Amino acid sequence: MQELVGRLTALDPDASETLKVVSYFDALAAAGVGVDGLLRGAAALAGVVAGAERHGRVSRRGPDGRDIGPEAEHSTQQATSVGSVWLERHGAPHANDAMIVERLAVSVDLVEARHRPVAHLETVIDADRSLDERATALAPLRLTPSSWIRLVATRPETQAPTGHSALVPTRYGLIRATLQLADSPATVEPAGLGPWARADHAPESWAGAVVALGLADAADPVVDATDLGAMLTLAQAHDPEAPHPDVTALARLDPRSLQILRTLVEADSLRSAATTLGIHHSTLQARHEALTRSLGYDPRTAIGKIRFAAAAMLLRLNNFRDAHPAD
Amino acid sequence: MSRPVRPPFDPELDAVLATVSEQVPTVTLDLLPALRATVLPVDTTGGDLEAAGVTRRELTIEGYDGASLQATVLARADHNHAGPGIYHLHGGGMIAGDRMVGVDQVVPWIVEHDAVAVTVEYRLAPEHPDPYPVEDCYAGLVWTADHAAELGIDPDKLIVAGASAGGGLAAGTALLARDRKGPALAGQLLVCPMLDDRDDTSSTRQYDDAGTWVRESNRTGWTALLGDRRGTGDVSIYAAPARATDLGGLPPAFVDCGSAEVFRDEDVAYATGLWRDGSQAELHVWPGGFHGFDMLAPHTAIAQAATAARNAWVARLFAH
Repeated sequence: MQELVGRLTALDPDASETLKVVSYFDALAAAGVGVDGLLRGAAALAGVVAGAERHGRVSRRGPDGRDIGPEAEHSTQQATSVGSVWLERHGAPHANDAMIVERLAVSVDLVEARHRPVAHLETVIDADRSLDERATALAPLRLTPSSWIRLVATRPETQAPTGHSALVPTRYGLIRATLQLADSPATVEPAGLGPWARADHAPESWAGAVVALGLADAADPVVDATDLGAMLTLAQAHDPEAPHPDVTALARLDPRSLQILRTLVEADSLRSAATTLGIHHSTLQARHEALTRSLGYDPRTAIGKIRFAAAAMLLRLNNFRDAHPAD
Repeated sequence: MSRPVRPPFDPELDAVLATVSEQVPTVTLDLLPALRATVLPVDTTGGDLEAAGVTRRELTIEGYDGASLQATVLARADHNHAGPGIYHLHGGGMIAGDRMVGVDQVVPWIVEHDAVAVTVEYRLAPEHPDPYPVEDCYAGLVWTADHAAELGIDPDKLIVAGASAGGGLAAGTALLARDRKGPALAGQLLVCPMLDDRDDTSSTRQYDDAGTWVRESNRTGWTALLGDRRGTGDVSIYAAPARATDLGGLPPAFVDCGSAEVFRDEDVAYATGLWRDGSQAELHVWPGGFHGFDMLAPHTAIAQAATAARNAWVARLFAH
């Protein structure tokens, strides 16, 4: 009911609406919409003509979705694997133009990848495929089931690392998977490195790589899943759609409370924590008690420290999903 | 959890739905005041009308029971001799919306066929339950037909048109015009019309939790209109046209809906009933369309196809 729900309209020219752009294109990709539908979506969001050139063929769609022929004046433009995509904005770009073009480019690449005859890499890393199916897909990649490989996860908007590469939907959004056969330094950041595995166990390496990418940040732009040790098992069991209550409890804290909590967990004593934070011992004691109540556990006990560390890691994964792919 | 058996949404529409789903509340009477106050109806504003070369004139006309109703007349700025007439009724589940909701679908017909549209502010349930809404709509039709000459309307080319609740009211108004030997109508344009209060079809069960206008919202609308009478034997064919057992002698109808909405089965049944009783009807069921898909996501391929089919029907009717 248009009168009760509004409609999908062009975005605010000035306010960034990254999440809406990302979620709309993710939904179009998940629904398997083709390039024309992607262009209609981009044009409707931007309120101006959106275009794509693929293998030398140009298609353009207006904000009302209509096909408007091949003449084009590009403004914001981005290359895809087989051509380019653009918006035709006259005058200053709007706040969301760059993001719309970026997501359009990624989505067009995904459609192109889907249209390639067989998606061998996607099959090899798909845990839902049978061992036989995965083994069959290894041969075209010049691999045998016992080949030693690892998967690298990188963000879709960054350049693909060297090697067989594919964009793959995951529970953390669209992520680029690249196959590595030898240890080589990561050239693309951020990156998540999966554990080395036999090629017929590639889904395990991919699952590790995705988690590792989720934990990468400015301080640690390349994370190796192997370095996570037993925590990798925990992270793989985590469902970002239904996080454990410990994670949601942590997510509710304001930055200052979180800083106090971290210091409490890391400090040898309450007194040294108070010194580090520069607050009075009794004030910290009260904060400690309040935090214990809101978390449901005492973060200074041995078990409490483990719970905090686990929840903090899973929260990073959830934040990755929410922020992805924007920085 | 197993997936319910139902036609899936069209892929492009599915993506739009995922993006706007937070704006799509299940409608309850408790929510109604907030909904009326905060959710903006899609109004064709003065600026858009002006750009289309359409002028807007405000009137007060007599409604049911002597009440005064606001009405808006829309015509091309250069309108100077009798053209086709469109009597428009807005949607909003019988409980929300105003007379400018949905007018943007009508504007192209005004522009292309030099038509004159009259859209009326019928009173809404639950403050004004049945028969106020449909009787107001009928009173507005009578007024429009009586004033055809001064409005610049050719009385032989007057159609009634509406979407959703407006479609149900348009069907009810056409039935009243037939039974009371009122104004002659050249056509009835029923866009995803809300026709049946009985809540007993496959489609209402299939879309009780998915889409825009879900089963619970529909029950809310009908309960507001009919109160305790909803679903009982005490409901007139004018309030719920699906209950009419004789659909003969009605003007040619255009009926459309999505295959993925609550109203699918009642809309298909209405077209079938029209054919059964010798009336003319054109029916379109757009695959994977949720309720109001063409209004919510006009840029999608399926919305363009639906709009083109509707515009073509209007063009053929007005060309006669």
